[in-house]
Amino acid sequence: MIKTLVLVSMILFSDSLIAQQKKQVNNYLNVDFGVASYRGSLSVSVLHNWRLGARQKMGVGLGGRFTSFLGANQYYITAPAALTSGSTGPFVIFKENIPENIDSLLVKSPQVNALNLMINLDYQISRKITVGFNIDAIGFSFGGSKQANFMSEATGMNTTADPTPFNVLLISDNDQGTLNSELYLTYSLSDAWAIKTSAQFLFTEYTTITKVQAYPEENDRFRNKSLMFSVGISRKL
Amino acid sequence: MKSLLLIFVCVVMLSCQQDDDNTPVQPVNDNFDTSKAALVKMGMLEGVGHTVSGTVSLYDSNGAKVIILDPFSSQNGPDLKVYFSKDSGAKEYIRLGDLKSTMGKQVYEVPAGTDINLYKYVHIWCEKFTVVFAIAEIK
Repeated sequence: MIKTLVLVSMILFSDSLIAQQKKQVNNYLNVDFGVASYRGSLSVSVLHNWRLGARQKMGVGLGGRFTSFLGANQYYITAPAALTSGSTGPFVIFKENIPENIDSLLVKSPQVNALNLMINLDYQISRKITVGFNIDAIGFSFGGSKQANFMSEATGMNTTADPTPFNVLLISDNDQGTLNSELYLTYSLSDAWAIKTSAQFLFTEYTTITKVQAYPEENDRFRNKSLMFSVGISRKL
Repeated sequence: MKSLLLIFVCVVMLSCQQDDDNTPVQPVNDNFDTSKAALVKMGMLEGVGHTVSGTVSLYDSNGAKVIILDPFSSQNGPDLKVYFSKDSGAKEYIRLGDLKSTMGKQVYEVPAGTDINLYKYVHIWCEKFTVVFAIAEIK
């Protein structure tokens, strides 16, 4: 009898847990447009988000994000942390840039597409308003070859560059490839729909066909960091 | 949805700032006495999709090399530079400086140590938009 009661209570308890878990998970489709001077982005993401805490105010999620970046005459600078900061360790984030190691690559019409795994953190500050942060973690990029002008003080080379194919979030300039992130605020219009605005920080990266930078060591990777104003919509699925 | 598109269009329009980096149009007349220097190479500037004309000369003055544009006249444009290039496509170049003016005699120093036998072209180059305005083969 006791065994039966324990068994029944376990089944009921596990059922209620599953039911509660189902309530705590939401899926979203987000579409965002980012814009800044002579550049813009379109990003489409699908997010699987878990609500946490007794009041379910906090959210943690994973998702996939497609980002397409388009610009005109954008400057890219030397990317590897070993050159920009002189080291690649975890404390590189606290290091000052070394200007004499940093050269420029002017890309005439950059267009980079990236598909990345995205991490999300958010907090519901009221029934209608949520603030959050998301960042790409790993993925790949693609796009056409572009004309680019490498400039190192008085000397330069007109060359060709392609989007760096592999993206990975590390620390500071150790990052590689094209990675998007947003500090955002959403306002719910209904149970399903919300409008969204954000400060979007998008890294895009090109690799030149030859190692055009020679000093202090050879390099072919160049990064653009774009801070953009973004608006979008969010649809609960 | 229409409101979102309207906001997006407004933001794009606001973000397209006006640039004011055109080349000065006031004629210049740099001082360089060609009688005290040796002419090494020269060539004629030809506009590439733009109206540019003039003569480019490379002089050697006691070992110091200079590029002289004289006479010179160019259509205006943003961020115009003078490139001293190894090839007609400016695949490898030395930036001699900002174009001083769209008109008049202009002197640009060639960095010491430059092998002038490897550099055979002078470009008037709009750097910001990666557009060649003119090219001269000097020989």
